[in-house]
Amino acid sequence: MLITCNPCCKTPEPLRPSLLVLGGGLSGIAAAIRCARYFPDVLILEQHVRSGGLNSYYYRRGRLFETGLHAITNFAPPDDKKAPLNLLLRQLGMTRGALALRAQAGSEIRFSGGKTLAFTNNFTYLTENVAQVFPQSLAAFKQLAQWLRDFNPFAATPGVHFRSARAFLRQRLPDPLLTDMLLCPLSFYGSSVENDMDLSQFAIMFRAIFFEGLCRPAGTIKDVLDALLKRYQELAGAIRYRAKVTAIIHEGGQARAVRLEDGEEIDCRFLLSTIGHSETLALLGKETAEERPRLGFVENIVSLPKSSLPGDKSIVFFNTSAKFRYAVPDESVDFTSGVLCLPANFLDCHGEETATACLRTTHLANYEKWRQIATDRDRYQAEKQAVFVKSLAIARDVLGISCANAVYEDSFTPLTVAYFTGKRHGAIYGAPDKIKDGDLGFTNLFLAGTDQGFLGIIGSMLSGVSMVNRHILPKL
Amino acid sequence: MTTSDIKQVILDIIADIDDEADFSDLNADKPLRDQLDLDSMDFLDIVMELRKRYKLQIPEADYPRLATLNSCVDYLQPLLQNA
Repeated sequence: MLITCNPCCKTPEPLRPSLLVLGGGLSGIAAAIRCARYFPDVLILEQHVRSGGLNSYYYRRGRLFETGLHAITNFAPPDDKKAPLNLLLRQLGMTRGALALRAQAGSEIRFSGGKTLAFTNNFTYLTENVAQVFPQSLAAFKQLAQWLRDFNPFAATPGVHFRSARAFLRQRLPDPLLTDMLLCPLSFYGSSVENDMDLSQFAIMFRAIFFEGLCRPAGTIKDVLDALLKRYQELAGAIRYRAKVTAIIHEGGQARAVRLEDGEEIDCRFLLSTIGHSETLALLGKETAEERPRLGFVENIVSLPKSSLPGDKSIVFFNTSAKFRYAVPDESVDFTSGVLCLPANFLDCHGEETATACLRTTHLANYEKWRQIATDRDRYQAEKQAVFVKSLAIARDVLGISCANAVYEDSFTPLTVAYFTGKRHGAIYGAPDKIKDGDLGFTNLFLAGTDQGFLGIIGSMLSGVSMVNRHILPKL
Repeated sequence: MTTSDIKQVILDIIADIDDEADFSDLNADKPLRDQLDLDSMDFLDIVMELRKRYKLQIPEADYPRLATLNSCVDYLQPLLQNA
């Protein structure tokens, strides 16, 4: 059966679901599918009109735009059975073909002073680049790679909350610039911590991006979501849209039900929240502790003539300042670093047959500044326009392209993300401190998704699956 | 169910989890996970499938008793004798 839009897939809702999932993003859908394979009375509650969470889509002037997707990481070959992507598919009972993923053409990390590291989904290529650009660090880089291959980032580290990946790299790599260049893409594609990463998180991301590599759906994220929802529907799982939860009703360390905006209460046996840690605590009526800053981003979408864009670059991570800084900027946007994504440049993607292609540009942004700016609607629009113009100029310089005939399509600020996804401060990678075991101190309520600590599309889906496996299936 | 029936049930379940699983050199006294390259996540599927197919509730504390093909038989035979 062909599903043309999410809200069409309507299975009758169970009265008291075995599992109630808060959030119809990728982690929530994966968790729901996993549970529904054995207990079909699962219900997802999604506040938005569409599923996908941070990785959704929308229509504008008849064209489909993705909200957040640049690339999917973890593109391991099919015969690597223990690779996260293959493990995930087995857990969901789906085939690789269902997701129709296509490999990147090639990506680059470009830093000031003309230093460029290119990488593909073949790790040897990155090693060769390191040999050329940082010959004095090659031996250390190879040792680091081997160490990372042997390291188990999921092993428990009692008492150790955060190990600095930056300090670890500095000790091992003679050239500090190489440390920055390796941290740049891994930070932009998954770090919720300023200027550093937890070592385990670094190991997971290094594997996801450099060992395994980048891919995209042959079409758009909608195809991935439709495939997942089709699977969920086959298992008789239910999903309700426009269902904003305003409270979790609990007593004695047990969640009994959730209350929706209109006052309706839905009982449940188990509850899995994918909406974020502090966001969940708020529904429980609990205070959130002070936390470190959250990282937000601006993203611009521009259409350019295909002829003016390079055909062989999928993603370019760049830094133009003397020192790479991955932190909340003092101004509304930090233009000195960012990500340039060319979604058409993935192998065999059947994009639209048009003369133009999309370029997406991403930079770090300051949520608080944007919030202040947005108190004046005209100023907010003007600032968005100014950011677009400046970002485009940077993309032109970094890629060495002409930006004549560029057409502004859309842009998102941290406020846009916060509005549509409910993510606090629009921080796409969530809270800096993760709840790795998903334990919120309740007998039947657990956390999955971004704030559990697995990032990226494959990572967040595995988060949902692993929390269901660990806390829910054995007890149902 | 006979011993060989139970073995076949387990192998069928594993084949459903991983259609490329190779049982030709399987040693019934050695851990299934190591020999068939099963992840701990895959392993839970065996438990859940037994539940789905035979309504068997296997407590978490008993999961280690499903480690090898022979230990599966020892553990499951009394539970499946009327199946």
